[in-house]
Amino acid sequence: MLVLTRKPGQAVYIGDDIRITLMEIRGNQVRLGVEAPSSVRIYREEIYLQILEENKQALQHTSEIPGDLSQVAEVWKSRKVSAISTNTPDNNPSSEDEE
Amino acid sequence: MSSSSEKITFQSSRFGQIEVLRSAVIELPFGIIGFPECRNYVLLEYNPPFSWLHSIDSPELAFVVVSAAEFGDNYSFALPVGDKDIGLKQDDEVAILNLVTVRPDPTLTTVNLKAPVIVNMANRKGRQLILDSQSFSARHPLWGKGEE
Repeated sequence: MLVLTRKPGQAVYIGDDIRITLMEIRGNQVRLGVEAPSSVRIYREEIYLQILEENKQALQHTSEIPGDLSQVAEVWKSRKVSAISTNTPDNNPSSEDEE
Repeated sequence: MSSSSEKITFQSSRFGQIEVLRSAVIELPFGIIGFPECRNYVLLEYNPPFSWLHSIDSPELAFVVVSAAEFGDNYSFALPVGDKDIGLKQDDEVAILNLVTVRPDPTLTTVNLKAPVIVNMANRKGRQLILDSQSFSARHPLWGKGEE
């Protein structure tokens, strides 16, 4: 791992088109600004790991269900999909991030 | 023989040998997150709206997926237009699939709305996108009130 020391306002380039700026230090938090082409994906690590784990969970039980998916299809027919609200609580750390 | 009718076969630990049109193959250049080596999949639509997103590279690797269209207009997000890996342009037709986590009790089945699989139907390339900046759940109950 390459470790660099930066002061607020200083930045690091990764390759030619990704730039990470240390914006400010607030107590025990550091605000980072990331500039990158929109095709480059940027994720907080804990979110990435959460998805990785969820994908593994998704795979784990599939060997136990009938291949024709009749179990889930049965329950699907008898109930409606649960509503999605944009305030759906999640287990993520709270995010004050700006786009 | 024209390439559009060319067939390929692959092994499935659930279904044995399966034959599909080569043109049906979906390529995920980075695979599903956590399974990066397996990049080629087919969609087996055995029980709509549920399908198997089945790897053709690994017989055991198959995910239950459901089309994002089932979740209505509240489930919306910006598509990765300009993404070089899937070559997505504005107005390209996409298929959006969400991985379903089946549990021993089927009523506890959840769907991952936080990490949809986007497939560019023009070239059949796709990727799993993480919607980090939005509050969709990785474990949205497929039915019921959905309160935790």
